[in-house]
Amino acid sequence: MTREDVTVENTLLEVRHLTVAAGLGRSAPQVLTDINFSLAPSSIMGVIGGSGAGKSVLAKAIVNWLESPLTVTKGEVLFEGHDILTMSDRQTRLLRGKAIAYVGGNPGGALDPTMTVGAQIVEKLRSVESGVSFAEARKRVVDLLDAVRIPSSAQRFHEYPFQYSGGMMQRAMIVDALISNPRLIVADSITQPLDVTVGAQILKLLHELKNEFSTAILFVSNSLPTVADVADQVIVLEDGRIVEQQPTSRLISSPQSAQTCQLIAELPTLWEHDTRSRLKPASDDARPIMSVRNVSRHYVLPSSSVLGFGPKRILQAVRNVDFDIYEGENFGIVGESGCGKSTLTRLLTALEPPDTGQITFEGEDILGRGRAGTRAFRRRMQLVLQDPYNSLPPRNSIGSIIAEPLVIHGLAFGKELRARVLDVMSEVGLAADLYEELPMVLTAGQRQRVNVGRALILEPRLMLMDETLSALGQTEQGQLLDLFEKLQAQHGLTYLYISHDIAMVRRVCARVAVMYLGEVVELADNETLFFQPGHPYSRALLSAAPTLETRRYRAEDCLLDGEPPSPINLPTGCAFASRCPHAFDRCRIESPRLQTRFGLNQAACHLLDIKATVKDEVSV
Amino acid sequence: MPNTMEVIGPDAKEARARTIAQRIALGAWRSIEFRIGLFVFTTMVLLSIFWPMVSAIDPMKINIGAKLTPPVLFGENWTWTHPLGTDQLGRDMLMRCFVGLRYSLFIGLATVMIMLAVGCLVGLWAGYRGGLTDTILMRITDAQLSIPMIILAIAILGVSRPTIPAIILVLGLSGWPVYARVMRSVVMAERKREFVRGATILGASDLRIMFLLLLPLCLPPIAFVAVLDVARMIIFESVLGFLGLGVQPPTPTFGNIIADGRKYLVNAWWIATVPGIFLFLTLASLNLMGAALERSRNRVYGGKA
Amino acid sequence: MFLVNFLIRRLAQGAVIVLLVSFLIFTLLRVVPGDPVRLIVGGMAPDALVEQIAEEMGLRDPIPVQFFRYMSGVVQGDMGQSFIRPASGAAVGGASFDDNTRSERANVLDLIADTAPYTLQLAVLAMVFALVIALPIGIYGGLKPGKWPDRFALYIGSLLISLPNFWLGIVLALVVSVNLGWLPAIGYQGFSYTILPAIVLAVEIAPFLIRTLTVSVAQNMGESYISVAAIRGISHRRIVMAHALKNSSVPLLNLLGVQFSMLLGGVLVVEFIFDYPGLGLLTINAVLQRDFPLIQGIAIVTSAAFVMINIVVDLIATTIDPRLDY
Repeated sequence: MTREDVTVENTLLEVRHLTVAAGLGRSAPQVLTDINFSLAPSSIMGVIGGSGAGKSVLAKAIVNWLESPLTVTKGEVLFEGHDILTMSDRQTRLLRGKAIAYVGGNPGGALDPTMTVGAQIVEKLRSVESGVSFAEARKRVVDLLDAVRIPSSAQRFHEYPFQYSGGMMQRAMIVDALISNPRLIVADSITQPLDVTVGAQILKLLHELKNEFSTAILFVSNSLPTVADVADQVIVLEDGRIVEQQPTSRLISSPQSAQTCQLIAELPTLWEHDTRSRLKPASDDARPIMSVRNVSRHYVLPSSSVLGFGPKRILQAVRNVDFDIYEGENFGIVGESGCGKSTLTRLLTALEPPDTGQITFEGEDILGRGRAGTRAFRRRMQLVLQDPYNSLPPRNSIGSIIAEPLVIHGLAFGKELRARVLDVMSEVGLAADLYEELPMVLTAGQRQRVNVGRALILEPRLMLMDETLSALGQTEQGQLLDLFEKLQAQHGLTYLYISHDIAMVRRVCARVAVMYLGEVVELADNETLFFQPGHPYSRALLSAAPTLETRRYRAEDCLLDGEPPSPINLPTGCAFASRCPHAFDRCRIESPRLQTRFGLNQAACHLLDIKATVKDEVSV
Repeated sequence: MPNTMEVIGPDAKEARARTIAQRIALGAWRSIEFRIGLFVFTTMVLLSIFWPMVSAIDPMKINIGAKLTPPVLFGENWTWTHPLGTDQLGRDMLMRCFVGLRYSLFIGLATVMIMLAVGCLVGLWAGYRGGLTDTILMRITDAQLSIPMIILAIAILGVSRPTIPAIILVLGLSGWPVYARVMRSVVMAERKREFVRGATILGASDLRIMFLLLLPLCLPPIAFVAVLDVARMIIFESVLGFLGLGVQPPTPTFGNIIADGRKYLVNAWWIATVPGIFLFLTLASLNLMGAALERSRNRVYGGKA
Repeated sequence: MFLVNFLIRRLAQGAVIVLLVSFLIFTLLRVVPGDPVRLIVGGMAPDALVEQIAEEMGLRDPIPVQFFRYMSGVVQGDMGQSFIRPASGAAVGGASFDDNTRSERANVLDLIADTAPYTLQLAVLAMVFALVIALPIGIYGGLKPGKWPDRFALYIGSLLISLPNFWLGIVLALVVSVNLGWLPAIGYQGFSYTILPAIVLAVEIAPFLIRTLTVSVAQNMGESYISVAAIRGISHRRIVMAHALKNSSVPLLNLLGVQFSMLLGGVLVVEFIFDYPGLGLLTINAVLQRDFPLIQGIAIVTSAAFVMINIVVDLIATTIDPRLDY
């Protein structure tokens, strides 16, 4: 793909006074107001802003994809001199997919699930470019699938969307966008739905493609570090207006507007040494409140052969997990999708029994306690759920939701019940007059507070926070974390945080376990994990964590290739070997076990046995 | 995948404290077809209840002198005393239709209630428990589904006496599998939701979750659409009556009136036709209401779960 | 591989269902009050003779034994003989217990095989009519949800579904056949006799097709991949034809499978009204005459047909939508 030999105009895209409202008429709320900017060919422009700032609307307006009630009330979008918004249908059709492409943030819903991926990209190609035969189209698509690093591209061509993982699907959509050699690609939150390492791979891919294809990109995202990684220039949107526009490096070093300053200030700092008390590990003589010993769980999937005979497919969800949680500490479990976190949560809350090993709480096994015993266990260990919109029964009032645990356990009635609920509500920061309201009137942060209240009212000893903060914005996260700290001090709680967000874990957890494909590959205290990680996966995870600071671990050295192998019928040896930059023979034969490095820090890697072979990139 | 939920809350402008059931009902009310249907239906129901009480005419009284009188404005010697004419034994058609309507409505409603009760309980149990319970219950459902309703009804009623309770039972039992299926799939979807998991962890027992949490959530949308089934059961009952397997004469039901009227089709076409029009009006109004409710439910669920 | 696996599994399940259904009907017929032997020999026969004939026919053995005997016959292709109908083809059996023509009874399998083709013809024609009505209305209604094609679909659907089939049959017979003389109504003497009954049946099933189509097409058009496809440059025509309609056909197929069961019920009534010599008329008469073997045979045949149709429908559905796991 070479640069076209055509007089390259100075501006590819020019947006003038673009104003979008939600509805017609004067009282319609303004979504975008007076947007002006221009984009040169082959350059990358980033657009960031908080949620509700209008980024997605802008992205869609540029491809003239606004659905009612959104309408453009003023302004023009000039693409190579012609206004997209006033073009005839025929002209628009010629542009779409051919000169301008759009990749969105919902890769799973972008293609027809009943047609193969390859066939659909071919369909698109033949729709926008005339005179392309099936054979030629197929070849071009397979070549491009290769170029975006989709393994076994010829085979993947014939697979269906549901057989693609999220990251792979996003790559396929990038192929779909590039196949017609567009001059502009609008990338709308393309890394948001993906795991952090997968998203980092996509960003790397974009860098590479930038050199091969001469496409301009409008990169929309809610994450400043991600945008800063890719873009030459950045626009900051707030409330539908552009509040700042600068080249990237200058934006970060000397931000002009208050919003940008706040955005930057809210970003988590990963790489500064932090000595807050909550990050200190528990004292030496603290006792473990919960112990997990050699726990495994697998699921048997129905075999795909005739009549169910033949080799069964075994999904190893959790393998040989072993750790202790001490009283009063903040323990974190971090990992990406598929690492086994959810299964582990179900095991820890006694929803399912482990196949091997034992989980003890306060010295006793959590299973086999009988009905009364299990109930008592549930009182002392509680779970705060992750999804603020699905975790509250929609038809019950808030008061009754918080009261329910007491009702179930028969601990209080009538007036006393109400009094205790109101107590808890004030503790978690919910106004007393919300008692009769239904959940639908609350914000996400308030809903999570209800979840916390519901767990707290039983006065547990251990609280399991299952991705509790993942759905919240940075500020709300901060507020809730302060609340947790306060509650911990008052009630002597122990917290177990389960998260995919390594930045959050950095903020809160004294000790962290890193999971990969069902195993704990590293168990270390906060400082050690971040500054002296013992496992290559931890390093990769850290290198991919989005941040504006200078990265401690560089992506080029640590970043992983490809996708995690399927947890079904795992190969022998270290599960990480297929992607590890430092794998050697032993790794593929023998599975490493957790070994102690120093103090309470452990990692499971054969590299630890090899002294002085791997130069610790962390020599600080 | 990490949590990718868009952080858009429910529309704050939506009026407060509206449950799903209320939203469905309101949505239906807004459509004109619902209101037409409701109006016609209520009129007919009220008339069928009160008219026979008020009027002096006895639907079963035989009056040979007035036999085969055509309806108002048709043929010769029509009279206002019998607005819809009389049948071959001089009985007033209008009155017979109203009485027939009473029976139809009663049987239709009772049947649907049984269908709902049995079907939803089975579906709830199967959907919540899953595993072996589910498989067994679903196989039973399948087996029952593969026997066409009417064959079952004919088989049972044809060989035993068709009393009203028997009819209701047969109709109800032959229709529950559909509800079981629907309820089961709804429960299976809802069971995976966070708050169900949360309730288990809080220590709630299975029964509590099923009846206090899941049932109030899953039942209303299904129950609303059951209106359509009331219409279906009324037709079904009429078919049975037509075949001679329904409520027996001299009690007038649409089925046996029309069956009788067949013989007089050429001379006295109204005996067979007019009850059908009556039935048609009732059913059409029920179906309009039911269709509007179904649309409304799809809209409520399609927007957000 | 998948195909073989699927077929074996489904056929096995189907066999179980057919077995269950037959056993159910079998038992049902024998436990409800009313002695079939009476019907056979007539009301005047002395009790001793009744008992003797009953013994000979094996009707006094315990039910599982009878069932086993019966099923072994079925597997070999012998569904027994009608209790009532003589082989000579006369309509109904005699009433006197010493009637000599009693010895020859019609084969159940023959009776069914004679009438089934008529019903098949009726069902296929009805389905064709129903699709002709439902497809344009349903698809157009689904493509424009909320606008008048959609409302029209709703009204037509509600109206059609409110017409009781037996009443419609009578009215149509009166108007079209007697008064206008366009089409024949009663009996069968040529293909044109199928048209009127087929219309009545079509009116019965079309509303369901319309409803499923509008809902399914509207739902599919609202999916995100459809609007994304427009942005990717694919023409609207192609989007509707190759994507939306294709995806909508799966629920429709499912419905067709269920409709077969409904169709059977409707066929009974329609054939009865129009005196159409098909399986439905046979069934009604069999039930009203307590002709056990015939009822049994029909039940087996229809549930087997139902199972087969569902298997075919599911198979086609999996080829369209690869996510389905039947």
